[in-house]
This record gives sequence, C-alpha cells and structure tokens, in this order.
Amino acid sequence: MAGELRWLLDDLTRYPRVLRESRARQRPGAGREYAAERDRVRRTVEAIHPDRMRLEVAEVIRETSSTRTLRMRRTDGPLPPFRAGQYVNLFLEIGGVRTSRPYSISSPPGTDHLDLTVRRKPGGFVSPWLVTAVREGDVFESTGPMGTFVVEPLIDEETLVLLGGGSGITPFASMVREAAAAGWPRRIQLLYGCRGPSDVIFGGELRALARGNDRFDLAVVMSDPPPSFRGRRGLLDAARIRKEVGDPSGRTYFMCGPNAMIDLCRGALEELGVPEFKVRRELYGPPDDVTLSPGWPAGLGAATTFAVRLGERVFRAAAGEPLLASMEREGVVVPAVCRSGECSACRTRLLSGDVYVPPNTGVRESDMAHGYVHPCVTYPVSDLVIRL
Amino acid sequence: MDERYDTVVIGAGLGGLSAAALLARRGHRVLLLERHNVPGGYATSFVRGRFEFEVALHELSGIGTPDRPGPLLKYLDEIGVADQVEFVSLPDFYRSVFPGFSLTLPVGVEAFTETVCAAFPGEEDGIRRFLDRVFGMGREVDNVNQVFGGGVPSPARVAALPWNVRKMLRYGLCTFGEVLDREVRDPLARAVIAQSWGYLGLPPSKIAFPYLAAVLHTFVAGKPAYVRGRSQALSSAFVEAIEAGGGEVRMGCGASAIHVRGGRVVGVRTEEGQEVTARSVVSNADPVTTCRELIGADQVPSRFWTGLRASEPGPASFNVYLGLAKSPDELGLVDHETFINASTDQDEHWRTMDSLRDPQALVMSCYNVCWPGVSPPGTSVVTLTTLQYGEHWHGVAPGEYHATKHRIADSMIRTAEEVVPGLRAAAEVVEASTPVTNMRYVGHQGGAIYGFDQHPWDSHLLRLPNRGPIQGLYFAGAWAMPGGGFEPAMMSGRIAGEMIDAGTKLPWKRGA
Repeated sequence: MAGELRWLLDDLTRYPRVLRESRARQRPGAGREYAAERDRVRRTVEAIHPDRMRLEVAEVIRETSSTRTLRMRRTDGPLPPFRAGQYVNLFLEIGGVRTSRPYSISSPPGTDHLDLTVRRKPGGFVSPWLVTAVREGDVFESTGPMGTFVVEPLIDEETLVLLGGGSGITPFASMVREAAAAGWPRRIQLLYGCRGPSDVIFGGELRALARGNDRFDLAVVMSDPPPSFRGRRGLLDAARIRKEVGDPSGRTYFMCGPNAMIDLCRGALEELGVPEFKVRRELYGPPDDVTLSPGWPAGLGAATTFAVRLGERVFRAAAGEPLLASMEREGVVVPAVCRSGECSACRTRLLSGDVYVPPNTGVRESDMAHGYVHPCVTYPVSDLVIRL
Repeated sequence: MDERYDTVVIGAGLGGLSAAALLARRGHRVLLLERHNVPGGYATSFVRGRFEFEVALHELSGIGTPDRPGPLLKYLDEIGVADQVEFVSLPDFYRSVFPGFSLTLPVGVEAFTETVCAAFPGEEDGIRRFLDRVFGMGREVDNVNQVFGGGVPSPARVAALPWNVRKMLRYGLCTFGEVLDREVRDPLARAVIAQSWGYLGLPPSKIAFPYLAAVLHTFVAGKPAYVRGRSQALSSAFVEAIEAGGGEVRMGCGASAIHVRGGRVVGVRTEEGQEVTARSVVSNADPVTTCRELIGADQVPSRFWTGLRASEPGPASFNVYLGLAKSPDELGLVDHETFINASTDQDEHWRTMDSLRDPQALVMSCYNVCWPGVSPPGTSVVTLTTLQYGEHWHGVAPGEYHATKHRIADSMIRTAEEVVPGLRAAAEVVEASTPVTNMRYVGHQGGAIYGFDQHPWDSHLLRLPNRGPIQGLYFAGAWAMPGGGFEPAMMSGRIAGEMIDAGTKLPWKRGA
C-alpha cells in the first residue's frame, strides 16, 4: 500500500517534471534548430536519387558500324551512385515529338561518366537519330539511374550466367566491368549472341578480360557469320547453354536481348531444369507484336484505330500500338520512365472504355480495380476517355 | 490562371487523404496535391516481377469486428471509404521470439493475459495488475470517445470525466517502462509485454505510457486487421471518396509554396507553377518542411521554432521485401507478425537504431497468412522491418550508399533465417528500402514514419497541435496530434478536417 502511494505521488509529480524538461529542451542551443537546416532532406535524396540529370555528351565512341557509345558527363551535380545493370531514361525531342527512351548504362559504377551504348534499330524512331545525329557537346535531360535488373548479392548464386543478345550486352558490360574492378567476387559466364563478327560490341575488351581468367568465361555465339568464320555458330539454345555453362544448377541467370532471343533462352533454361525463379529478365519495352499476346481480342487488327479523349482533346490511337506512343505523338507530355510497364511513372486514369494489358504488366492490383493503367504497355480496344 | 478552393491539402498520405475526404464529404471545395504518382504516402505498394509488396502496413487498428466496429471503421464508413475496402482480421497480435524463447500472443484481453501469465507463472500477480492498468486505461479511451462521439455531451458526463479517465490522468506523462517495471521483474516478460513498442518507435523506458497502452488495448481488445489489396487499396479508396464528394485530386503535382498574407494563409503555388487561392491549407508534409520550405522560416512566428527545439524526428524504417518462390507451408510461415529480438535489452535495441550498426531486432511479416491471394499460388511474400533513425544516413557518402544498405539488409535476412530456415534460398525477388527511400518518396525529416519521437513531452496534449502557427494552416499526419501509426494518421486528418469544417460553421464566419 505504501508502495502504491509512493508510485501515485511519483506519477503525479511527472507533470511538472516533464513540463520542466520540455522547457529546458526549448532553450536556445539545447535543442534542434530546424529553421537552419533548409533543404537538408532534399540534398541527401538528390545526391542518391536525383529526379533529373543534365548530361552532356563528352565523347561519341564508335563501337561498330551501327553502334555508338555516348559518353556522358553530368553538368548539374556529381553523378549519383548506381548499380551495374541499371538504366537512365533519356528525354528527347525529335521532329517536334517529345519522347524518351530508357538506355542501360554500359560503364561500371564508380567512374566520372555514364556510357550509354546505342545500336541503330532499322526502322526505329529514336535510335537512328541518337547514332547519327548526336555530337560532342550535345546536352540531354535524363532521369536518375533506375531499374532492378542488377546483380543482387543478397540472394544471387555464386555463379552468374549472363545471356545477352545484340545490344542487350549493354547492362552486362557494366556488370562485367564492375566485377573486373572488384576482383571477380562472383564467377561470371557470359554467353553473347550476335549475328556476325561485325555486330560484336565490346568484343576486344571482353575477350581480353576472359583470357586466362577462371572467374570469367566468355562465349560469343554467331547466328549468321560468314562461311569463313571458325568460332561458335548457332543460337543461345539449350545445347549451347549446356555446353558453355556446364552444370546449369546453382546459378542465377540474367537475360537481355531481343524478344525472340529471350523466348528461346527461356525455353532452353526450362529444358535444362533451371527453376524459373533463378532467371531474371531485363525489361525490354512493349511486345513486338501485341496481337500475338495471350488474351488479345480475337479478330482485332493492330491497325484498327479508336478515339481517345483526354480533357478537351480527342485523337486516334491504333489498337496495336502502346497508348503512350499515341499520346506522345499528340503532344501530350507524359512523365514516362521505364516504358515497360513496371515503374508506374506514366500511371493514367482510365475513365471509360476498354483496354488490353498484357499479362504480368506491373500494374498494382488496386489500380486495376480502380481503373488506372500504365499507357506504356496498354492498348486501346475501344474508344477511351482518359485523364492524366 | 487563378483557381479558388476552400481548402488545399498538400500531400496524399493518410492524413491528407483523410482530411480531404472528410471536407469533400461535407461539401467543401477541396484540392489535393501529391508529388508522387500514386496516393498513400507510406500506405502504398510496389510491384517487382510477379510480386506486389505492401510498403508499410503491418497490422491495422481501429477496425474491430463486423458486430463491434472500431472507431476507425466507423469513421471510414462516415466519409464513404469503408464500403470500398475489404478488411481481413488477424487471429493473433504477434509472435515474440528471443534467443531460446518463442511465444505467440493471441487477441482478446483474457486470452492475451492468460498466455502471458502461463509463460511467466512466477510473475502472474504482477502481470495481471499491470495489464489491468493497461486495459483499464484503454477502456477509458473508449469512454472518452463515447462521451464526445455523439454530438454535445451532457454536463453530467463531462463533469464525471476526470474520474472516468483517472488512469489516463495518472499515467499521462509516465513512460511505459516506469509503470511496467514496478510490477514485472523478469526482463523477458517485460520485453514480451512491451514488444509492440516497434509500432511507436521508442522503447518502454522512453515511450509515453498512454501510447503503448493504447496500442495494446486497441489491438488486443479491438482485434488487428489487414486490408485486402494491401494498404494501397485503402489509399485508392480515399481518392474515390474525395472525387465522389466533388474534390479534385492531382497526382504528380506537389505544392512549391504556401502563400501567407496578413498573417493568414491565402493560397498555394503548385509545382507546375499554378497559383490557387484557398482559405485553409492542410499540410500532410512534415511541419518542418511545411513551415521552412513551403512558407519560409521567417514568415512563421519564432515561438513555433522554439517549441520544436524539444522535438526530434522519430525513427525511419529499413525494410527488406522478399518475394519467395515457395509457399508459406513449404517455408513453415504460420504467423502474420513475428518480432525477432537479439536480446531482452530493449534500450540497447534503441541505441542500435540510433546508429548504422546491424539491427538488434526486426519484425517479420508474412501477408499470405491472413490473405493467401497476396502473391501467386506456390509463392509467398515476407517483409522484414526494423527501425532506424534517418539522421545517420545524411552522413553516408553517396558512393557508400548501396554497400551500407546491402550490409544491413544482409544482416536482417540472416536474423530472419534463424526463425525461417531456407528463406534466402527461396528468394526470387529482394528489394531493400532505407530511410533515404522514405525521404525520397515522402519527404519527411529523417524519413521518419511516426513523426516526432513520442516522448511524454511530445505525446497527446503536448504534441504538435493540428492547428498550425499561421491562421488557416493545419497539420495532418503522424507529426501532429494524435501521433504516429496508420489509425492515428487518419485520425489526424479527421481532426484537421473537423477544425476547418467547424470554423466555417461559426455564425461570424459564415459567408466569409
């Protein structure tokens, strides 16, 4: 009982004690001067995750007849840290159309520049322009480094198998260069599929790194080489992977390249008994031909167009083309970033109408329920009303 | 172009969403601005591969059961949010793991009390006395809500109030540990009872008694819940409700300034450079950023800055999100919420939080337990969360950021693997978030998740009021009254909204 009384007294005298303590902490010099810490949070965030960067082309490096590396230096601050395999989204204005494209960084982390390696895609809109028209001193705006196609030491196996095709070598170049600089913390097996010898990007450097190195194996495989070619011929199929990789178990697989190659590799890895969850794929834009995707409305042609209403304006959009492309052509500025469905930067409200969204597009479940879409991988299948 | 609104709400966190929904429902012309492209603040989700991860919600309080709805559910119903969300109740409060010890604490006052007593039979009398004080205080909170919940209370009930809240008055400024340590001696029993301090950010020796007592009471007596569709579904439902009430929601567009003229708020400039006029502004940004970056430090009365000197931003979260290629059964995941502790020394856990050292404690959540559909068949999602003061991340060189993040995440996975063997090997996707991630998406000082540290001098009536230092400015969110957490954040928006609504109803304000 005496204890309880003492406790009661103790509890009630807290009031003056706590108020005294609070006042003491409010004396000048005793506590925190928030007014003097302006922009502290923003500065820390900007140093690691800048929203936008200004990149100046310091050098245009010719890699192959169709490929250039744009060596970029940031002019509005130090380069943020990034992880090998990440990309930046480059904002462009070509022929009056404001658009953007994500490009993997091919240089390793820890240098004073970012290399973006671009191959001219025949019939492409952006890549031919980047390869032919860009000069030293040109300035671009980009996002900060983004993307999740990275080596993940928390869960990855001791051996990494990198399956690259064509310009899909770019994120792997960053990974291999980083590993070389770090003394090969993991074993890397790089299988690089190309059409012919003249298409090989970074060939000399990769071969030099692989020579006499038991931590890095390189296999360049040509699908369509000249008759005199004496190296590896064929595709990145199951037999080839088995031959180059050896025992396929206990490895983490990365795939980056054209959709046809990805489909082939995916089937090959399945055939080899590689569990699907050990296979990672770089995002690679919308499907080449969406009308072949599962669930596409039967009989609907890619060229069919629908009316899209956005506020006051109405424009036509083709069923077979991502809604984002139609919006950009119409002059709508969309803050798109990954252009592959996963980042949600272009999230748009669908007020009415029907759309087709391929399976495994990274739209949040509740967004699906509430009528939000990612127009970068969304296709109109009726007239639409949308809102940014 | 100049647009006119009654109220502009800055930030679509739960506090901002709540204020906007309430005001829209009451017929105010509301504009809600949000920098990010999705609503919710921390109440959101993100997609990686075939997994969609809950960002922040572990257990939701205030929902109750269909026959005994909790205060939050009643409020959500009132503002037109509840019917668009489906809640699932959790069978247990949490599982508490210490070296060589594991105990699952059930829901229900009696079941909880009996379980703790059975685990520590030598302490039974003290545990019962202590839990009586805790749950007794919780019932007092319910009492207060009843007195003020239904319009104007009768004078007799108001007069009886001090006696009816005597526990709250008595322990109002005590710490939880002070009261607990008198009755319970075993450090393990103390740590198990006070385990949920992780939901408040300060250890028993520092947290205001009423806060942790309220957490215990609301979860144990009122039942914890989760949201089908993740907390993002709750945030999206708020947006629907705001728009249904005629409010306007602009995503991807924050505020860049709050205009003050003649000592009162007159409008807001959006990030797109548009000027809008408003009679009131509810800021869901933290009060420091609001007054310093949006208004300007010298425009705010200096006593505001003096008052804030005593307040420190509370901890941020460090999360590791794991998408697993095995089912919960295969991995032996049977608990929704598991606290894993390196020792019973809770003060040491807190000191570690105030550094970049490997965490001493974490909570592991497996959402498949209450909602199997949270991930594809044959898979599961697990989140590992620890608390950490964001302050230290300001000193991490950008070049060291990824390595620091990796080291801490790695130690957390190792800790979790002691309870769930094979966790790492089953991981298909992993993503870690740091206090800097919180700062990036929410902008809070220190990436704090519970606002200012909830010391007794920053609790309840001593906490930052929802009415800001400038006429027409209001705060919503964890930094202000009533405090940190999902339910309190929504309630803070309710308080701010009610204040504004009441202001417009005063006879001399009519037609102003």
